[in-house]
Amino acid sequence: MILERPEFLWALLVLPLLWWLSRPPAPRTAVLTAHLPQWQLAMRALRRRPPRGAWLRFLLLAAALLAACLAAAGAHTAATPGPDRLVVLLDASSSMAARRDGVSVFTTAQEMVRERLAAVPEHVEVTLLRCGGSLRRRYGAAARALLDVGEPGGELVADLAGLANSLCDERTEVWVVTDGQAQVRSPTRGALDVLDGRGPNASIVAVRVEDEWPLPNLQVEVDVVVHADPGQDVWVAAVGAIEGGALRQPLLWQDSQVSTMTLDVRRLATGGDLQVAVEVAGDVMAADNSCAIALPALPAPRVAVHSGDDAGPFAEVAAAALAEEVRGKVVPATAGGEVGLLVVDGGVAEVAAGRVRALTFGARLGADVALEPWLAPAGLDWDREHSLTRGLDLSELRVDRAWRGLLPEGEALLWSEQDGRREPLAVLVQGDGVASVHFAFRLEDANLPLLAAFPQLLRRAFVRSYDRDARVLVDHRPLPAGERDLRYAQPASSRPLAAFGAPARSLAAWCVAAGLLALALRSLLR
Amino acid sequence: MPSRKLLPQAAEPFAAAFRSMLPSLFATRSRVDYGDAQRLRARRSVLSQSGTFVGHRRYERGDDLRHLDWAAYARTGELFTKQLEDDDRRAITIVLDLSSSMLAGTPQRRIGALRLAAVLGGLALARLDGLTIVAPGASAPVQRFVGAAQLPVLLSYLRELPTVDAAPAESSAAVLSAGPVGRVHWISDFAPPQPFERPLQELRRRGARVTGWLPVLPEDERPPQTGYLRVVDPETGRGLSVPVDASLAEELRRQLALLARQQRQMFAEVGSSLMRWPFAVHSVDAPAMAEHLPIVAACAR
Repeated sequence: MILERPEFLWALLVLPLLWWLSRPPAPRTAVLTAHLPQWQLAMRALRRRPPRGAWLRFLLLAAALLAACLAAAGAHTAATPGPDRLVVLLDASSSMAARRDGVSVFTTAQEMVRERLAAVPEHVEVTLLRCGGSLRRRYGAAARALLDVGEPGGELVADLAGLANSLCDERTEVWVVTDGQAQVRSPTRGALDVLDGRGPNASIVAVRVEDEWPLPNLQVEVDVVVHADPGQDVWVAAVGAIEGGALRQPLLWQDSQVSTMTLDVRRLATGGDLQVAVEVAGDVMAADNSCAIALPALPAPRVAVHSGDDAGPFAEVAAAALAEEVRGKVVPATAGGEVGLLVVDGGVAEVAAGRVRALTFGARLGADVALEPWLAPAGLDWDREHSLTRGLDLSELRVDRAWRGLLPEGEALLWSEQDGRREPLAVLVQGDGVASVHFAFRLEDANLPLLAAFPQLLRRAFVRSYDRDARVLVDHRPLPAGERDLRYAQPASSRPLAAFGAPARSLAAWCVAAGLLALALRSLLR
Repeated sequence: MPSRKLLPQAAEPFAAAFRSMLPSLFATRSRVDYGDAQRLRARRSVLSQSGTFVGHRRYERGDDLRHLDWAAYARTGELFTKQLEDDDRRAITIVLDLSSSMLAGTPQRRIGALRLAAVLGGLALARLDGLTIVAPGASAPVQRFVGAAQLPVLLSYLRELPTVDAAPAESSAAVLSAGPVGRVHWISDFAPPQPFERPLQELRRRGARVTGWLPVLPEDERPPQTGYLRVVDPETGRGLSVPVDASLAEELRRQLALLARQQRQMFAEVGSSLMRWPFAVHSVDAPAMAEHLPIVAACAR
């Protein structure tokens, strides 16, 4: 026991005074008698006892005083040397999702950490660092409860050994919980637990989809890396919204090499989910075995054509060609009619840009639009990265006449550039799930219909006008390269947690309690 | 025994009023007579002692058989006892308890004991042949007095007696070693009575007629009713702090009555009598004649 303020012990000098005060009062009258035995017999007959020094009461009072003095003197226990902080480095990289006996290594690690932290003294400051994927830090009770540490995923960017060695000091104990994957060395300081999650693994590392939407043809290229013993059969399967329901093909593979499997399938007209998976016996990591592809439904487009009075036949021809391309049909443009795409060539089209699937060529979007003729715009160029024009050759494009003030605000994909000033000739107006494409010239005023890229441009404009309804969504989160091969782990033996130090604990509360107890007992004594 | 500091000083036992009362008390001869029985007992006791042979006298009932002159009986056919020099001397022995327990009481029981000894001794000096005071522990533990003229000496001797704790057996031994045993007046508080039983039996076997005298204090019968007292046994020094209330006083009165019964029973068993003399019924400084007449009357019996 250590006293912070031992001068308070001087208060114990009042003990003799207390002793004197606790003595029973002495009779003021002393009487000599020859009959003392008779007095004693009389007292005994009445079961009375003479007043006597209540030594026990005095001792309890002295104990209460002593306890009060010790509490005032700041009595406390001596501190035990040792760390009082604990940093848990929890490996939450993708490899921790490996499953052993149906339980993921990460789950096992969480249970172990939770169990051991329950035995860590309360005074120890616990910090939990989730290493791998998104770095998360939990402190105190949240750390002890492993609150919201998430699921394993991502790459182990941090060097656990270096981090542990840098954090470990006299006051800090570091505990590394890992599976030893993707690490070049093991921590040499602090506690260590290496969980075994080794086993064969096949991963889909990439998925590419060549979609011929609005046609049903679909080509899925799957890049697979297999880390397994040679000779095992590996299959790639596609299951879901395709004709026939499923397709399963064997994969020719080499250990730790990327093997590509191409799946040519035809989707169902209704679209739906397509699950692509790789299968190998004994795969411990199921999380990287599959990939989900959301296939859009095939459209049944109705292409409407609206040509101005002075427009040529190009629009109708283009619409017919487009309808044939997408297996739709051409319908007349009528007010209130529902169409998949409105093709307008010249004239006036009362459509809201970006809100109607429309492809306009030199058409005014409102009757009150003031136009300025623009003869033979020079310096034509196009956006080679735009989804509509990427890969198309428009170098032969010639425009005899265009109109300024015709185009709405949008992404310019074709323009005339003179004197460093760029004026758009075609724009894409992106709306909410709908897009429209507008050209500043009529088809008959340019040689665009004659270009080889024109059909492709039409088809792309059609697809683009459907926006996300035509997109193939690939949900694939490949594992980092270093997390795939689960057959090897950094060899290390586990080390237990060091004994934590104990802080100096104040005994004041105990002293006060003991003093009160002594006083309570004293009040019960007679 | 507590230190002498704690013990009260022995008070003056013989106040002037008491001394002036004594002559008139001794003058009450008409009402006080020792009688034949007393003389017989004195004779029997004296004959049990050795002495110079001075002649024969006829045997009387009560004489010690050891002093029968069997040769004279053979010659004459009648029983004669050998008469020694002290024969037929009428004397008493007063045994005084000088223990510190006699200092208890208000007034001290010792005053009553000394006055009792003075009255008994004075009567003996005035009417009998002699008086022996046995006071174990005193500088002169056995003191003889003869003649009425020695009354002042007797009073002076009694006044000067110290306070000495002595066992009852020492008193009886002193009595037996003092000479012929006649009538013995043992003045004490006889508390507790048990230690007195064997000495009394011893005296009885040696032919003594013992009368126990117990000066009774008012508090012997009326203990304190209330108060917070420390009662101390002066002989042992042991004390007891006692809060006194009515129930305790009643119980103590019962215990004191039981003690008195035990004292009477003890004396009865040894063939002696116990006289309880209510002492200081009135003021101790102004004693009344009536208080002392029972002593004279008891001596006459």
